[in-house]
This record gives sequence, C-alpha cells and structure tokens, in this order.
Amino acid sequence: MTDEKTWVLQAQQGSDEAFTQLVETYQKPVYNLCYRMLGEPELAEDAAQETFLRAYQGLHRYDASRPFGTWILSIAAHYCIDNLRRKKFAMFSMDIETDDGATFELPDASAPDPETESVRKEQRDRLHLLLKKLDATDRAAVILRYWYDFSEVEIANSLNLTVSAVKSRLHRSRRALAGMWQEEPSPARPERRAYETPAF
Amino acid sequence: MKHQPFEEWLLNDTPLSHAQKRELDLHVRSCAYCSALLETEKVLHSVRMAVPAEGFTVRFQARLAERRLAERRRRLWGSVLFLLGGALFLLWLLAPSLFAVLASPQAWVASLVKWGIFLVTTLQAATQAAVVVLRVIADLMPPFAWLILLSAFAGMSLIWSISIWRFTRVPQGV
Repeated sequence: MTDEKTWVLQAQQGSDEAFTQLVETYQKPVYNLCYRMLGEPELAEDAAQETFLRAYQGLHRYDASRPFGTWILSIAAHYCIDNLRRKKFAMFSMDIETDDGATFELPDASAPDPETESVRKEQRDRLHLLLKKLDATDRAAVILRYWYDFSEVEIANSLNLTVSAVKSRLHRSRRALAGMWQEEPSPARPERRAYETPAF
Repeated sequence: MKHQPFEEWLLNDTPLSHAQKRELDLHVRSCAYCSALLETEKVLHSVRMAVPAEGFTVRFQARLAERRLAERRRRLWGSVLFLLGGALFLLWLLAPSLFAVLASPQAWVASLVKWGIFLVTTLQAATQAAVVVLRVIADLMPPFAWLILLSAFAGMSLIWSISIWRFTRVPQGV
C-alpha cells in the first residue's frame, strides 16, 4: 500500500496527522488550481483552505478506487466554479507575482537564459489574465488539461461533464483564448524592480 | 481565410507528418488567428505551478481547529434551543393540569395517590399472572424451542444494536 493510501485510510479513521500529510502533499496543486481559477492569491489561499476542509469533512465519502489527487482537485474546481458563479468578480487587478512573495511560480531550472525566460513569463502572465475572461467551467477544464495533464475522461469525471462536452469546452476555450490573444495587445513590460539588474 | 484543417490539427494536438508541418508553418505565417492559436498552445504547454505562501499546513490546522470550535458551539446552542423548546412545549401541554393543581392542590394529591395505588396493585397482579403463565409454559415447551426463542431474541438484539450504531455514528470530520 502506498504512503498516500495509508494516509487516506488513517485519516478516515480519524488521524489528524495523516490528513496533515495529505495537505502537505497536495497544497501546491490545490492552491495552483484555485489561483488559476480565481486569479488572486488571497482568494486562492482561502479557496484552497476551504477545499481541504471540505475534503476532511467528506473523507468518509471518498472512493478509494479513485486517485486522491483527482478527488481533491475536483472538490477545488467545484468550489471555485461555485464561487465564481456566486460572485460577480470585478476586473482582476494585475496580480502577477507580488513583491511580498505571496505568490510565486516554481522556478524553471531548465530556463535557457534570463531574456527568453522573461518573454515566456510575460506570455504566461498574459495568458493568466486572458484565462479569467473564460466561463468558470471552461476555465477549470483548461486548467485541468494543461496544468495537470488530465485526460478528457478525467476532466469529465472531475467536473461532472460528458467527454464530448469537455472536448467542446476545450475547443471553445482555445478558440476564445486565440481570439483574445490576437485582439489584445501584449501588456507593456513591467517597471524594473529595485532588485533586478539592468539587461545592459 | 480558410482555417481548416489547420485549426483542427492545432485544437486536437494531432501528430503531424513533415509535409503537414510545413503546410501548417506556411499557413500560420499568413493567418493571424492560427498563429495566435499556435502561440497560445505553446504558452499553455509551458505553464507553471503557482505555490502558496509558506506555512499553508499550519494555517490549515488553525482553521480546522477554529471550525471545530465553531461546530461545537453550534451544536451546544442547538441542544440548548432544542431542550428549551421542548420544555416550553411540555409546559404548554401541561398548562391546563397545572392550573387545576394550583386551583385545588388537595384534590389533586388525593387523585394522584389513588392512581398510584391502582398502578401498583395492577402491576402486582400482572406479575403474578405472568409468573404462573411462565411456569406453565416452561413445563410445556421442549428445550430446543427455548433455544430457538433465545437465539431469535439475541439476533433481534444484535440487529437493534447495529441499527442504533449505524444511525448514531458521527461521520469523520468537524
């Protein structure tokens, strides 16, 4: 039996320590999903915490034949979708990595050079902003597909959709993203931060 | 401009031959939409994981403890309100009798004593009758019938206990 299954079993029997291990293991994927869905670090933190609380409360309903990761990401996705539907979010602020370190992306050890990495980062930030304009369920499908490499079947199971609906949502989202990518000019490069060194 | 089959290739991540790749490359150079589709695909394939601020697990534990406390308080208040409601309902039901008691306490005490004596004598009579019946039945019933009866009684008790346990089991969680 793997560590994860042991933790799940122990947590189901009431072990807080075992559940803490699960939180430790899945905090990054859950947080990332919430961050990509909601767009703001504070909202993402809150949603990720709530996801784990819901998982804790619903552990007795967890079907051990399903991977725990898929189950908890499904809870997070549904929570974020409900959240987005309930609230009419105003245009998000520019929440690219903050200087106070509230949100980071994992560094890329294979980055070729700072300039190329900077361009890529700018493109990712731009994509992050465009993602927020998608419908909540479409956004969840895109995030599960590209951030977590979920298959269409896994996305369908996680979001309670049919496989054909997932396919159609992914295509629609890709078309929408391409359309917005074309229409919206690339954002101006951000001001150089105090700790950054000049390129030349 | 026609986007097919290039759009389908891009949307489905279709594996392409060299000739198809060249064809796509040529098309993308002249089609802004397919170029954007390709560019967004590349960006989507290079996405990164955002990570939470340090101490996520500690914050979760604190929130869990807070939620448990709130849940306990909620249950306590629920129980208090339930008991209070029950007491008020009982009071409302007993109000006519209470008024009668308050109006003539002696008469009420006398009727209570009378009723108590009746209850005790009835119980004594019923017990004696039951003892007699059991003695007669014990002589009439063979041992295996007793065995069946006791087994059935034990089985019923077991089912009853399991049902109580299933219905009263508190699910894991706060």
